[in-house]
Amino acid sequence: MTRLHSLRSARTALTGAALAAALAFSGGAWAKEPLRVAAVSGYFSQGFGVSIMQGLEKAKADFGIDLTIVDTGNRALDYEEQFNNLATGDYDLIFVMGWELVDALQKTSDANPEQHFIFIDGVLESPNMTYIDFVEEEGSFLVGALTGLLTDAGAEGFTDSKQVGFLGGRDIPVIRNFLVGMQEGVAFVAPDVTVVDVFAGTFDDPAKGSELSMALYDKGIDVIYQAAGPTGEGVLQAATAAGRLAVGVDIDQCPSAPGAILASMLKRADVAVYAMIKGEVDGSNPVVPGAVSVGIASGGVEIKVCDDMLPRIPAEVMTRMEEIRAGVASGEIAVALNK
Amino acid sequence: MTDIPLARPERHVPVWAQGLIGQMLALLIALAGGAVIIWLVGESPLHVYEVLLRGALGSAENVAGSLLQATPIIVCGVAACVALRGGLFNIGVEGQLYVGGFAAAWVGFTLNLPAGLHVVVGLGAGMLAGALWIILPAIMRARFNANEVVSTILMNYVAVLLTSYLTIAVFKRPGGWSETAPIAQTAYLPQLMDGSRVNLGLIIGLALALGLYLFLRYTGAGYAVSTMGSNPKFAAYGGVRVKRNIVAVLLTSGAIGGLAGGIETLGVHRRFMEGFAPGFGFDGVIAALLANGNPLGVVVAALFFGALRKGSLLMEVETGASREIITVIQALIILCVSAQILIRRRGGISGEKRWKF
Repeated sequence: MTRLHSLRSARTALTGAALAAALAFSGGAWAKEPLRVAAVSGYFSQGFGVSIMQGLEKAKADFGIDLTIVDTGNRALDYEEQFNNLATGDYDLIFVMGWELVDALQKTSDANPEQHFIFIDGVLESPNMTYIDFVEEEGSFLVGALTGLLTDAGAEGFTDSKQVGFLGGRDIPVIRNFLVGMQEGVAFVAPDVTVVDVFAGTFDDPAKGSELSMALYDKGIDVIYQAAGPTGEGVLQAATAAGRLAVGVDIDQCPSAPGAILASMLKRADVAVYAMIKGEVDGSNPVVPGAVSVGIASGGVEIKVCDDMLPRIPAEVMTRMEEIRAGVASGEIAVALNK
Repeated sequence: MTDIPLARPERHVPVWAQGLIGQMLALLIALAGGAVIIWLVGESPLHVYEVLLRGALGSAENVAGSLLQATPIIVCGVAACVALRGGLFNIGVEGQLYVGGFAAAWVGFTLNLPAGLHVVVGLGAGMLAGALWIILPAIMRARFNANEVVSTILMNYVAVLLTSYLTIAVFKRPGGWSETAPIAQTAYLPQLMDGSRVNLGLIIGLALALGLYLFLRYTGAGYAVSTMGSNPKFAAYGGVRVKRNIVAVLLTSGAIGGLAGGIETLGVHRRFMEGFAPGFGFDGVIAALLANGNPLGVVVAALFFGALRKGSLLMEVETGASREIITVIQALIILCVSAQILIRRRGGISGEKRWKF
């Protein structure tokens, strides 16, 4: 509580000492000021941003936080001033999502090192900020395990091909995380199955994604796991066109190509954001600078098998997946990270 | 405004005052309309306007922020104004801004030049790119009378997508967002004060507006352009080489549009980002229309738009009203001003037909 107050503006700092003293005597039975939270992004109406909003709204309903949503729009000129408007000490936590905001964010954070910024889905250089870092390897491990098991079991929709596909956007470290996780998962359950990987070289080209997927499907590959943003939408379309399977990423992509999507690897921003606010509100896990890894154990990363695919999946595969999931969550199965 | 025959002779209000009263009325109606919308979304209009005003002008930093926002609109407005006064409609300022911004940034991050020269070459490259970007519409307009409104709009899409392609596929900075490498320090357009990104571009914009005003008012060439705008047949009859002037006017307009982009990349962002400044070109065109083609009026309109934009950023944080409310207010202003023009025309006053569709 006292730590929290040290973050707040001069306006409340005056009452802070009195409040801390009162707390010391009353033993904490004090009506707390609500936590003031802001969230900044240009994507609150799209996939991942919607997920963040759900987490924030839930936190608002459960903890009565003050919530301010700031839409950055698309003018780069505005970003810096938008951060400066927020970094006045009036907010305890400011969530930020979107790589285009990074430069403006760094500048504002350097000028206001006391301000708690939380950058979602990435780790930047600044030591003042908190980062929500999804452990893509763990979720991708489960994707690898599922596709490997189904390949071995020769489940409905799987031929005798011993290869599974991976399509990445650009060949950059964060996308390699997905690939490495998948490879490990496949190797864990089916050493005879291999992962064929391709990189589209772009995140913004669904046509290219579609074309490359078709080439993979033509090789006899039954399922492709995509980690390629909008390029990946082409993979989902190609799966429908080829009558094969794809695995979605980030959000539940099952509805975008029903019948062609096996599962989605979810990055649950809602869970991560909610957990972070909860830890701050009840003091169990206050927000501190540095990277916070969110993986299977915390529910921030998970795999969702599409409902219409459930009948195709043999019971023993589902049982095995449950075991593996529990193993990864408990740390019994160590998923090596891509370093 | 005195060179525009708006008034009925029998009215006793001076011409300039009439124009001013009209625009003020348009502004008031638009603000009232905005208030209704703010009220409908459940906020207090007074509170929202108070925050808007404070965000725009509440402190020295906020005023600087408003000027920063106004800078590209002033320059783009002057670009549109040049064409408008020549009876042409360059709605491609947006595209010229993009290619100009990219060209200036390219000079900034590839060439190695001494400090002052680097900026000049960068801005020059921006102007050249902007002029080149309108050369096709200009020639087609002069030679074949092809409607420049359509061709310049089409060039916008090409410009935005081309610069996106160049940024993502050719010059992307490794890692990070879709942006080029940062420009060299020697290419930084100097900033006017500490703690704000307001830069020399503002002075350039004001100088351009004043220069255009003086040019149109006091020089023969300026008179030729104005005459061409108000009555091309008469201008041709009077010895103005209309075709040559069409090309010259459009190229100048395009070059200034390109300059606006150069100012943004060298003065503010110091690199080129994909989709870095959506809408400034169009805001400039609107400012020029609002000002009825008067370069000094463009500055006033641009300052007003800049203040609205800056204020809206605080509005978004402090009130429940969306930042987009100001887009609605802007649109309402445009509607009111166009309505005024229609009403005046119905009153039998000529002289408003300075652009054609």
